[in-house]
Amino acid sequence: MEKLDEKSGATLVALPPVMSAHGVRRSFGAVHAVVDANLEVAPGTVTALIGPNGCGKTTLMLMLAGLLLPDDGEISVGGADPRKDSAAVRNAIGWMPDQLGAWDNLTCLQTLTLVGRAYRLPKAVARERGAEVLGTVHLSEFADRPARVLSRGQKQRLSLARALMNDPQVLMLDEPANGLDPRSRVELRQLVRGFAAQGRAVLVSSHVLSELDEMVDEAVFMSKGKTLGADTDAMVADARTRYRIESLDDSVLRDAFAHWDMPFEEVDGGLVIRAQNKEHAASILEALVKGGAKVHRFGPFGSALEQTYMAMNEERR
Amino acid sequence: MTTTAERATPTTSAAPRGNPWWPSWRGVGLVTRIELTRRRPTTKGYIFYGILVAAILGLGILVAALAPPGKTSTPMELVLILVLGAGLLIAPSLSSTSINGDSSEGVLAPMQMTRLTAGDLALGKLLASWLFAVAVLITTTPLLVYAFSRSGWHWYELIAVLGAILFAVLTFTAIGLAWSALAARAVASVSLAHLTTGFLVLGTLVIYAFAMPLVSENVTVTDRYVDYGTLTPDEQEAYEAGELDYSTVQCTEQTYETSVVHTDTIAWLLLLNPVVVIGEAAPVVNPNTYEEDDRAAPGAFALMHQAVGGAQLGSQGAPLGYDECGDPNSQAWSDQWDQQQEEQALFPRNPWLGLALQAVLLVGAMGIVIRRLRVPYKKLRAGTRVA
Repeated sequence: MEKLDEKSGATLVALPPVMSAHGVRRSFGAVHAVVDANLEVAPGTVTALIGPNGCGKTTLMLMLAGLLLPDDGEISVGGADPRKDSAAVRNAIGWMPDQLGAWDNLTCLQTLTLVGRAYRLPKAVARERGAEVLGTVHLSEFADRPARVLSRGQKQRLSLARALMNDPQVLMLDEPANGLDPRSRVELRQLVRGFAAQGRAVLVSSHVLSELDEMVDEAVFMSKGKTLGADTDAMVADARTRYRIESLDDSVLRDAFAHWDMPFEEVDGGLVIRAQNKEHAASILEALVKGGAKVHRFGPFGSALEQTYMAMNEERR
Repeated sequence: MTTTAERATPTTSAAPRGNPWWPSWRGVGLVTRIELTRRRPTTKGYIFYGILVAAILGLGILVAALAPPGKTSTPMELVLILVLGAGLLIAPSLSSTSINGDSSEGVLAPMQMTRLTAGDLALGKLLASWLFAVAVLITTTPLLVYAFSRSGWHWYELIAVLGAILFAVLTFTAIGLAWSALAARAVASVSLAHLTTGFLVLGTLVIYAFAMPLVSENVTVTDRYVDYGTLTPDEQEAYEAGELDYSTVQCTEQTYETSVVHTDTIAWLLLLNPVVVIGEAAPVVNPNTYEEDDRAAPGAFALMHQAVGGAQLGSQGAPLGYDECGDPNSQAWSDQWDQQQEEQALFPRNPWLGLALQAVLLVGAMGIVIRRLRVPYKKLRAGTRVA
């Protein structure tokens, strides 16, 4: 949690967004996939795009990637408008699609070398970069194996490697954690954070919200084709202030909170309170322990994103 | 700071402007390479191919050993028809799954995200599928060399026909690719590609046949023959012995209606046929003088050219009637037949209409493909996702 607060505090200061969308709309015939999407992604940050299945996340990502034309609205990626300079937009982006596809007969290294050459890298450079990127996604031992022998998670990582080949300013990952084993997820998180630390931007959509919690600085919630702005931001911020306390005897806690006039919620097996910041949380804990409460657990209450997601869905029901 | 960073990665060239679609040599070459490597045969495939080459070589040697001496163009025509047929089946089959297949496999959009343009992808895919037909041609080379040595053709004539064949295959490959860009599912695009080929190869003939009654005209033909009943017994005897003096006897006339078809007005339908185009590109053989001309007897292509030439000439008025009294041996009729045969066989070669149609189809199909491959998409194929 502390990571999150620090990062969002540090990065939101001044840098103009490298990718932005305002009032973006897109429909396929009678289906309004994206109705009104607004988002900004600043360099050096990781932004999550969260929403239920079919809410328009992938469609929005396709429009941001310069693969699909919006019906209306403004998009800018690295200063280029996909309507006019769509090639520049695509060139600035590393896109990992939700659909996994690889050339079955080609080896991983061949695949990446050819992708590198499609980005107009000279052959030797493309090969070198391919080997390097394979190392980044921990697929080096599969460099000379054909893509068809890869497992789902390995294909996922090859797809990520492909997105990294052009050294993009913006990395867009559509459901990157699907099919990854726990170790690969940790590695994905590290990779994404490392990428952002180089001053680049990442936009990631995922259903594994607990995973995102530890990875992202910003979250954009989407529902029925609309991005939910300030409301959900406030909900996330609020969710992040919630602490769960478990003790051997909760009545001591209740008494203490009543005495301090501090609101609390009862949850299964403990109490939930709000702390304004880390210092506040520390002082509460200190006071509780001094007051004789036998606290055996004290920590953030679940995933802030998950809480917001569930709350958002309840409101929309 | 920025400059050092740029110097550290001197690999990617400057950001592109606009949304280019035109192909580059480099891009087309790369896509062709990717497509060929992807479809590279497995070990089993190479074994199968080896067996095929051996069979063709064996067949060539067998035919060479057993064939009677003298010139004949039949083996040559068989090989060429084989190459055309295989090319028209294989190359469009490959190209017609090339775009929608890639899209459903999820390997098309990542390519579109790179610096490759729609033109690079379209031409690269076209070339890769077409090269399989070229491989078939190369496989048949041993047979072709033997067949050529006996065919009485000149080398430049062979080149012209091979060029026409490969051009036809290229056109139908492009049409397959266009169907693959238009139809969402591979089943649909493969069938549509083969239906298009079938329509031009067989459909033009069927339409030609159905159009014939529309351009036919009724004419009256007069036959003259000896009125056997008016002959004296002596004359009857002489008639039966074939010694009758026709100038002294009475002849009767009989007229009847028949129809002639003015095929010259619909011959263009035949000229659109891609197989006819191949025949029209083949050398012209004079049926009466081929031996002096150092040619083989007219083979399938020459006969096809003659038939198409006849259709272009059309019917010149009513046919000659039978005149037993004036021309008992039907010399005029026979002369006219020979003259017509030669006129039809020597009718100038006319592959141009068919070639022009193919060129239009080729350019049109590639236009469709490039338009459908350009991103950002305005419209998606119904029932598909971007990938």
